[in-house]
Amino acid sequence: MKCRRCKAPAQVKLPSHNTGFCPDCFFRFFSGQVARAIKDHAMIAPGERVLVALSGGKDSLALAHELKEQGCDVTGLHVYLGIPGSSDASLAHIRAFCEPRGIPLLVHSTPDDGLAIPEVKEALKGRPICSACGKIKRHAFNRAAREGGFDVLATGHNLDDETARLFANTLRWDASYLSDQGPCLPAEDGFARKIKPLYRLSEFETACYSFLKGIDNVVAPCPYSSGASFTGHKVLLEDLEHTRPGAKIMFYENFLKNGREAFRSVAGSSPALTPCARCGSPTVRETCGVCGLRRMVAARRAGLFVEDGAAGLEDEAC
Amino acid sequence: MITVIREPEGQTLTFAKAGSVRRLLNLLGERCTSVLVIRGRELLTEDRMLRPGETVIVRSVRSRG
Repeated sequence: MKCRRCKAPAQVKLPSHNTGFCPDCFFRFFSGQVARAIKDHAMIAPGERVLVALSGGKDSLALAHELKEQGCDVTGLHVYLGIPGSSDASLAHIRAFCEPRGIPLLVHSTPDDGLAIPEVKEALKGRPICSACGKIKRHAFNRAAREGGFDVLATGHNLDDETARLFANTLRWDASYLSDQGPCLPAEDGFARKIKPLYRLSEFETACYSFLKGIDNVVAPCPYSSGASFTGHKVLLEDLEHTRPGAKIMFYENFLKNGREAFRSVAGSSPALTPCARCGSPTVRETCGVCGLRRMVAARRAGLFVEDGAAGLEDEAC
Repeated sequence: MITVIREPEGQTLTFAKAGSVRRLLNLLGERCTSVLVIRGRELLTEDRMLRPGETVIVRSVRSRG
């Protein structure tokens, strides 16, 4: 197979675009997709400071690398979760990634904040940890963005993540979630603008990019992630993409173009947000769900019983 | 014979017969967009041929949390 642009041997075949590229031409393609996402959705204005959430996975590292190459003012943020066998390796990997690239790195430690994930898991008494962990991370991202004066918070969600989420929301016809799903959420109510510049690129494409750019692969997956949501939906959509190349991007872009607005008119207005009485983060309750979790963990440590502090986690805005 | 290292599992497999990457992916039950097929610092598309004695890495592209 030859590269469509320069006719050198191709290393990346892209059935969804009915084409293949050599490494250099693939980098041009990849950069073009990111630039198009940023331009089409007004994600980053010149001079804005971008905080990139870094998990240590290929997507977030590829995003930080690409934004830096495109000349953005990038700072990394890693949320250290205190998970044995995973968190230390991830942090070391991210430090080794950021340093040679001149990307400043902020680290927020959840154990230092009373929220070590193994302790949270124990406090949840068998309920799924992934949604609580996601909530804690988003809370930390929002807080770091707000306190650090960043204009934009960027995450490495790719096309597979976004279509799987859209599919799940569609299966439930969840008007509220469908009305505000998208690759760019404006800054409001104490939250920085949130952007997903990789939304036009598949997991395969970010994996190819990371490998060809020499971004090492961290082999320290979260031991709790086997129950992560959307994996089954991703498999279904992969089957669809195999028989109809390009179906995923069409599903998502056409939703943004034709579907999302329709749900906005029926979703109703969101409840008003006020600062959490404990941490100041925007919340629909007196104290936010993350502060409730922290209270549960502290009580469990002290051998005390408390009411379910995680109640309302799902309807929290942060 | 070719040697295949599966990632992230770390499993090593051997196949008596070399052939195309497409044939290897069929044997492994994988699609060309669900894994990277890596030889040294190079990615192999499914039309490429594997030579006897070679070792390739087959790496899943799926995020694992």
